Amino acid sequence: MLVSKNKATNSLLKSEKKSLLRFLTLYVAMVIIIITLFSLFYYQSQEKLMLAEQRATLTKYAYIQTKRLKVLHHFFDDRTVYPRDPRFKSAIYDLEYIKIFSLLENENIHFDKEIYINKGTIHFVKSLDDFYLGTKYLILEVPDSGAWRGESWKNILGYGFFAFLFFMLFGLYLAKLFLKPMRDSIVLLDRFIKDTTHELNTPLSAILANIEMMDRDVMVEKNKIKLTRINIAAKTVSVLYQDLTYLTLEQEKENHDEEIEIKDLIHDRAEYFMILAESKQLECSLDLDDATIIIDRRKFTRVIDNLISNAIKYNKRNGTVGIILREGMLVIWDTGIGINEGKIPYMFDRYMRFNQSQGGFGLGLSIVKNILDEYYISINVESTENKGTRMILKW
Amino acid sequence: MVKRLGLLFISLILLLSQAEAKDTYERYCVDCHKELPTSLQRMFMHYLLVYGGEQNMKAGLKHYLKYPIKEISVMSELFINSYGIKDKTTLSDRQIEEALDIYWNKFKVIDKLK
Repeated sequence: MLVSKNKATNSLLKSEKKSLLRFLTLYVAMVIIIITLFSLFYYQSQEKLMLAEQRATLTKYAYIQTKRLKVLHHFFDDRTVYPRDPRFKSAIYDLEYIKIFSLLENENIHFDKEIYINKGTIHFVKSLDDFYLGTKYLILEVPDSGAWRGESWKNILGYGFFAFLFFMLFGLYLAKLFLKPMRDSIVLLDRFIKDTTHELNTPLSAILANIEMMDRDVMVEKNKIKLTRINIAAKTVSVLYQDLTYLTLEQEKENHDEEIEIKDLIHDRAEYFMILAESKQLECSLDLDDATIIIDRRKFTRVIDNLISNAIKYNKRNGTVGIILREGMLVIWDTGIGINEGKIPYMFDRYMRFNQSQGGFGLGLSIVKNILDEYYISINVESTENKGTRMILKW
Repeated sequence: MVKRLGLLFISLILLLSQAEAKDTYERYCVDCHKELPTSLQRMFMHYLLVYGGEQNMKAGLKHYLKYPIKEISVMSELFINSYGIKDKTTLSDRQIEEALDIYWNKFKVIDKLK
């Protein structure tokens, strides 16, 4: 899985982003639903308002038409011409919904409603008490100009857009409030680490210097083993210390980019970690071609150290750690516990640790990613649980 | 003489066939209503005004023909006082329905308006 470029370690963690994205998705969906419901309510109220206005007019027309029907009823069948009016079209239906006569353009009538809009026309259904000409239902039809609809849509889109904008700004403010406790705790942790780092330097240097100075030839075998263990522990702490120092103090330092012979550097760092690998009876497989890269040596060392350190730390006893170097590509692989594919995108987050059995603060890979991003070096993680992991760097 | 008898026979047959040609409505309704001042057409409009639909009107009329009482007559008080209530029908249900169908089709408003 190719891990995308990010500066997340300094701004937002992936887990923070995920929480923020979930919150915003939910919030946006809620805002859209609320605006839609309000729009619907507004549209319906506008429709009702228009129909209420039409109802008053059509009731008057219905009264006039009923009078005409009454006259026609009394003179039927000397007179058989149905009364017409230029202001509206009408139809008459009997008690059994049988059409007696109709001038309507739209014959789709809803007898259960008093007034409604139907395909560009407004129908008004008047129920008569006296069935002139057998008429129970008098239906009046006028065209629906649709002007109210255009006006309503204009208002919905206009006000809806501003409401959406307002809610979005409010949502961002809420999101900041929502993330504040999480961010505060990270800041607190950063400050704590920065403070403690200063205190680690002197004792750690003293331990490592004294280990180097000890004369192993005069030691008994039992003490040699003990010294080796102290050496391993000290180097593990040293890597952690260097990470913390880098993170808190050196990160902001200016880069001193130079052309580095990677092969030499790897040999040097492999030798440094050899004692750790031996403690787990790991086999080392180095397949190194000559290759160079222009980068700050200090930073590239942090990358190599962390990747090798992880390959050793999360390996199985009697496993293998391998390094393949080609021009433009570096692969560090192991036969360790691997990592679930779903967790790969989060493994570069600061303080992210998937295996609690091993020590550490979860800083190493965050630093690696930070440096690789800075130098536009891509990192591809291929991992199978219980089989191993391959970290492929390309530049 | 033979000729006269022949003509008389033919006339008799024509008269009988004409009587046979009269439908239920003509035979049992029109004859009695001839005597009344209100035409069957006007009465139809009265019924239509009250019942407002074919099935409703036919059912109402059928009931009235079988059980004629003043309270359910659609005619005016003046008309009833002058001419009274009709006698209870002696027609069968089938004959009443047939007569009513003819009555409806003859005077119905549907299809007559322009």
